[in-house]
Amino acid sequence: MAQPFLWALILLPAAGALVNGFFGRRLGKANVALIGVGVVAAAFVGAALAFAQVVYGNVLRAPGDVWFEAGALRISFGLLFDRLSGTLSLVVTGVGALIHLYSTSYMEHEDDFGYARFFTYLNLFVAAMMTLVLGDSLALTFMGWEGVGLASYLLIGFWYTDEQKAYCGRKAFVVNRIGDFGFLIGFFAILSLFGTADYGQLAEAARKLQGSTVLATGPFAGWTVTAALTLATLGFFVGCAGKSAQLPLYVWLPDAMAGPTPVSALIHAATMVTAGVYLVARTSFLFALAPASMAVVTTVGAATALFSALIAFAQTDIKKVLAYSTVSQLGFMFIGVGSGAWFAGVLHLVTHAFFKACLFLGAGSVMHGMRDDTDIRNMGGLGRKMPQTSRTFLVSTLAITGIVPLSGFFSKDAILAGALFAHNAMSERYPWVGPTAYLLGTLAAAGTAFYMMRLYALTFAGEPRTEAARHAHESSPVMWGPLWVLAVLAVVALVLGLPGSWAWGEIFGRFTHPVFAQAIEVAKVEEHAATFWPFAVAWLVAVVAGGLGWAMYAGSLRRVPARFAEALPSLHRFAVEKFRVDELYDWLLVKPLGRVARFLWRAGDAFLIDRVLVEGTARTAAAFSRIFRTLQNGDVQRYAAVMAVAAAAILWTLLRGGGP
Amino acid sequence: MLLSLVIFLPLLGALVAAFLPAAEPGQHRGWALFVSLLTFAVSLALWFGFDARPGAAEFQFETRLPWIASAGIGYHIGLDGVALLLVMLTTALTPVVILSAFTVGDRVKEFMIALLVLETAMVGTFAALDLVLFYVFWEGILIPMYLLIGVWGSQNRLYATVKFFIYTFAASVLMLIAIIYVYMHDGGSFDYLAARSALQISAPAQRWLFLAFALAFAVKVPMFPLHTWLPDAHTEAPTAGSVILAGVLLKMGTFGFFRYAMPLFPDAALHFRPAVAALAVVGILYGALMCLVQQDMKRLVAYSSVSHLGFVMLGLMALTAEGLTGGVYQMLNHGVSTGALFLLVGMLYERRHTRLISEYGGIARQVPWIATAFVVVTLSSIGLPGTNGFVGEFLILAGTWLGRMPGTQVLAAIAATGVVLGAVYMLWLVERVFFGTIRNDENRHLPDLSLREALVIAPMVVAIVVMGLSPQPFLAPARPAVDRLVARLQEADARLRAADPSRPPSVGTTPPAVAASPRAAEGALAALPAGGSR
Repeated sequence: MAQPFLWALILLPAAGALVNGFFGRRLGKANVALIGVGVVAAAFVGAALAFAQVVYGNVLRAPGDVWFEAGALRISFGLLFDRLSGTLSLVVTGVGALIHLYSTSYMEHEDDFGYARFFTYLNLFVAAMMTLVLGDSLALTFMGWEGVGLASYLLIGFWYTDEQKAYCGRKAFVVNRIGDFGFLIGFFAILSLFGTADYGQLAEAARKLQGSTVLATGPFAGWTVTAALTLATLGFFVGCAGKSAQLPLYVWLPDAMAGPTPVSALIHAATMVTAGVYLVARTSFLFALAPASMAVVTTVGAATALFSALIAFAQTDIKKVLAYSTVSQLGFMFIGVGSGAWFAGVLHLVTHAFFKACLFLGAGSVMHGMRDDTDIRNMGGLGRKMPQTSRTFLVSTLAITGIVPLSGFFSKDAILAGALFAHNAMSERYPWVGPTAYLLGTLAAAGTAFYMMRLYALTFAGEPRTEAARHAHESSPVMWGPLWVLAVLAVVALVLGLPGSWAWGEIFGRFTHPVFAQAIEVAKVEEHAATFWPFAVAWLVAVVAGGLGWAMYAGSLRRVPARFAEALPSLHRFAVEKFRVDELYDWLLVKPLGRVARFLWRAGDAFLIDRVLVEGTARTAAAFSRIFRTLQNGDVQRYAAVMAVAAAAILWTLLRGGGP
Repeated sequence: MLLSLVIFLPLLGALVAAFLPAAEPGQHRGWALFVSLLTFAVSLALWFGFDARPGAAEFQFETRLPWIASAGIGYHIGLDGVALLLVMLTTALTPVVILSAFTVGDRVKEFMIALLVLETAMVGTFAALDLVLFYVFWEGILIPMYLLIGVWGSQNRLYATVKFFIYTFAASVLMLIAIIYVYMHDGGSFDYLAARSALQISAPAQRWLFLAFALAFAVKVPMFPLHTWLPDAHTEAPTAGSVILAGVLLKMGTFGFFRYAMPLFPDAALHFRPAVAALAVVGILYGALMCLVQQDMKRLVAYSSVSHLGFVMLGLMALTAEGLTGGVYQMLNHGVSTGALFLLVGMLYERRHTRLISEYGGIARQVPWIATAFVVVTLSSIGLPGTNGFVGEFLILAGTWLGRMPGTQVLAAIAATGVVLGAVYMLWLVERVFFGTIRNDENRHLPDLSLREALVIAPMVVAIVVMGLSPQPFLAPARPAVDRLVARLQEADARLRAADPSRPPSVGTTPPAVAASPRAAEGALAALPAGGSR
């Protein structure tokens, strides 16, 4: 059943981008806003209509023409709207529409050109993201993948007159490109295995495979299917680590906060950065055949979750704290999709989209009130000045912290329990991965609760610490309206993740089950009975760590942080400086690359090739001609002399040689 | 006849222009533009008349007339799909270049005549099917190009133009010797088809001939380490010269490999393939690294050409339908995107009279449309999906990965890092020129695109998007030629394997290790939801 209207979900925002891009400057801000918000809202309505079909068990498809083909390789345009891509579509267009709406007010200070440019890029992003989500082949996903990277690049560097911001945009693009290198390698590996990039055909082919089969032909001749797919899926995961900011490629995301705050909310928290999670979920049937890849995904996710939570402890920029928190939460999602609890990873993606978008938009609202100051040390007491922002921020903070009964608690617990009780192909071979991920994840969860409460306390509680904070004001309803919608969503999303034995238990798990059925079967995932104690532990961790955070930054233990910093100054500075990872990369990669290039240019190109070889050849020719020139100087007497001597020499040799 | 018209129309126009008064530069500009547009219009008949179906003739629009019959030299022309694409690239690019060169104020008459003569020589090079005719057109290009750089170039133009001329000429002379050798061993004919079918030479002779041809072509491409003439020539050439040089002339080298070096000497091509492919990969990385340290915009773009042409060569050496198609497509892409880059750099140069990157910075606010066009072209250059560059790079890398040459996956993987480096140097260039604050007061009042400039750059931007989203019309004509070349080399490979049974096949695409039943899987995802959602 072909559903060509699915293309509207991509073409609407694309059209919005085109119109605003070409004519936005002349249309005026109101029209630009109308178009920008309108197309995304329309796409949301379309996605909702399609989703209604999907709920009833249909899978919608919009097969398309050939994009390009050569030899046996054929890449087509085609869309797929199933329960996974449908869920993502709703999140992208829904949260997207809210953030577009918020931006109409947030970006008011821009001139007409900047305003139109902003909505052009934002619509472009939605179009690319929908391509990524809806594409029915690796090729189209990759197209969206790079497209969102472009939108991200343009939006991070939106205020391009600031060199630092332009640099951050480029850094994001380049780091993502490093990840895309992995994606491409995985893509090629898949092509050489299956000869197709179409998810449907791949799933069908993978269904018949045994992991232990030894391949006979192709670049992987002699490898087992598992080994070959491990390489391919690890390639994908390198791409995911870039796009979804995991170790060791996460470094671009904190810098991406240079972009306008709605961008941080939409692209660098709610949607684009979750593309990696989506890719792993989408290709779950391949990962299921490669337990080693699943183990890597889980471990890297867990390590990232804890690592970035630790960095977030010491950050003082409200957006940076949230950025590291995003990196950490993405790590949680990877624990989920890595350890075979695919639905849990995707569920956390959804709930995180709600509360993290709310947090970022809240941060934007605070920045508006504080005249673009982002340092939380300069804030305090904003709760009274900005009641709407503060309340929604609190709801989302509790949600991300994992306080019962908000959505974050259930999705995070589903992930951690999934990792701990994982019983599948991965846990058979690598039994230590699940418990390790659980341990790291629980520590990270404790960290999350702590630094989020610290953030809330420093921003909203206590007394204002600066003049700006004293005069902060609430933002316009156009801005806090979306905040409330997201905050409410962050609460009601809890129904998606209730434990299995409850009335609506695991509704999201059952809903997405068809998408992951093949992977569940192949990886021999065994459902575990819901146990109570992890819930209790998770709750306890959240409350204790959150309470500690509150006490240390707004309560009776307020002296402790300063003393801690005094007691261990170097450790404190190390954390403030983000463990100096950027410096490490600079020293390890960036600088040497520049040095090698400079050396090759000076020594190789300019000297060896050009001076010595090219001009050397010319000089040799010139030298020879100089020698011959002396023989041909036009002096007849010398010619005659040479001739006479030569004749004599010849005569002499002839007579000597030929004579008796 | 039609093809001859396309070849000689510009020359005819140049002859007429010779009689127009030199004191009327406007007349010359208009006339040259008119002639080039007319040529393009006529060439469209080639485009629409070409039959790309599998059974169609290999060379179409063929004309065969005796020329110097006693020496076996004929006027033999014709197009296969690849030559057709390159002819179309030439005829489409020339009017754009001429329009962009309206700002040339010095010796306009001679300038326009040189461009028209150049067009004839370029189209002729792609259309020739006689080795001597080919050689004549091939060398004929040097004269107008030599003058373009030497007369209208910038400060260091004499050094650059002599270097360009001698470098390419010296290598081409070796090709001439090889052509004569071929003539003596194929029954006394310079005809390409005769040479291809009747050439009887020993294996070592084949290798030497391949090397002679390959050297001439490799200089033109240019392949590492024969590339150093290119940055100088590009930097010193006027904008029009750079655009033609990057857009078309470099493709003569890769086209030469495709048309002459590989099909004429298939055994030798297989013998040297690993070395050429390795040099191509070195070129990709080396060119990209050079870009990282350039201070001159044109020099940077020139080195990026070394990198991009490395991709083309890698695709050709993959000897898979995917790689070859990608290589051919990347020839067009590079013509469009690097041509456009030189046009844009030229526009900036006309405003500020400097090519130094450090002289710019922060001008996006002053020239938003130039900046936008520059970013779009950059995206094409770094192969973003949705632009033409992606299709080419993807096919090349996938084709290389899927090839049968030992170690080809490693080459593909190393080459793929060039994609990362490409983003590094191009975006850095964009950032240093357009972003940040304005440091130089002279940049404060730069005018944005004029109408003429918009007309110059718009077709390029449109081509980038159209060729990125709908590449099929441009890939289809190349298919028969690509398939023929693969088949030809497969034959040679089979011969070699018959002589040496231990030799694995090395040409063509490896079939997928696990067959995905193609159309039967139409409903595969429907089968996915086993949980009864259907």
